[in-house]
Amino acid sequence: MHLPDDLDDYLRGDSALSRQYKKESAPTPPHALDRRVLGRSREVQGTARRLTPCLAPLALAASVLLSVALVLAIVFGPQAAKRVEDAPRLVRVAAQAGTPAVASLDRRLQLYSSDPPRARAAAAWLADIAALRRAGRNRDADAEFRRFRDAYPGYSATELVIRP
Amino acid sequence: MLGEMELLDEDARLMMRYRDGDPDAFLALYARHKGPLYRYLLRQVRNAGAAADLFQEVWSRLVATRSRYEARAKFATYLFQIAHNCTIDFFRRDLKMRHTARSDDADSAPEPEVPEHQRPDRVAEFVEQQSALLAALGGLPQEQREAFLLHEETGLTIEEIARVTDVGLETAKSRLRYAIRKLKKSLLPVPIPEAQPLRTNYLKGTS
Repeated sequence: MHLPDDLDDYLRGDSALSRQYKKESAPTPPHALDRRVLGRSREVQGTARRLTPCLAPLALAASVLLSVALVLAIVFGPQAAKRVEDAPRLVRVAAQAGTPAVASLDRRLQLYSSDPPRARAAAAWLADIAALRRAGRNRDADAEFRRFRDAYPGYSATELVIRP
Repeated sequence: MLGEMELLDEDARLMMRYRDGDPDAFLALYARHKGPLYRYLLRQVRNAGAAADLFQEVWSRLVATRSRYEARAKFATYLFQIAHNCTIDFFRRDLKMRHTARSDDADSAPEPEVPEHQRPDRVAEFVEQQSALLAALGGLPQEQREAFLLHEETGLTIEEIARVTDVGLETAKSRLRYAIRKLKKSLLPVPIPEAQPLRTNYLKGTS
């Protein structure tokens, strides 16, 4: 059998204990204390408001400075990295794989065959096609040229030089 | 589907407005909670001066941390959690000071420093102003007193009391149960001792 608990009765509300407690004097903070707390709150709020107008132009200046720095970094910053990226794929692959830079054209073609279209810089590709022609391997050069035209249909700067 | 704001209690909405820069929202919150908070502190530490200091400290912390406020629960649990932490800090400081005073006394220091609110005259003054119920409340262990005050002053549930005081649900329940049992006894009428018949036999002599 479940005996009624003091706590259950009490939590149901309106217990004699709660009634008696509510009858007791209910002191509130003295006015001086109210003034101190509210004054402190106003002071903090005022400080925040005073700071905001000062900080706004500062934040704008910081944003402009950051943007300019970012643009300069993009334009002038990573020159060395840019040069590496622009280098012919053969050089990059050779550097990564430890392959000698004077690898044969066959080896180059083998490396290029796995390239997705436009993965190679146009200039590097054309240089390789020209090298194939110089070596008398026109068939390979033609095949590479067709692939080149598929990847760069609008490119015309040097095609006359290497066209079959 | 209800939005976040619709699920919040009115106080939490006020606190969010205050967080977002509305000073009037703070006035409204202060007006609503100043009484319960003051009584909670006063009856916890049992000294008006210490309660006033803690009262200011609680509101200062609320103001200082307003930008981090997130309405995850009832606002009262947030406010009284700050109050609970301030009170615990107070009791720790107080205990340390008393230990220091005691060790100074052991070293036969001429005037051991006793906190203002611990001075016998101040304690006596406070006790005289209390009813039997408040005296019984003051006699409870601090944790039980706190559980009772949180429920009476703010209407917090057992779950909310557990959250504020950072204990398990059963612990909070047990504290409140002990508190009300003891306090109920203070409401019982004090039994008047029955008149004893005058013992005269010792006047009659023993012979």
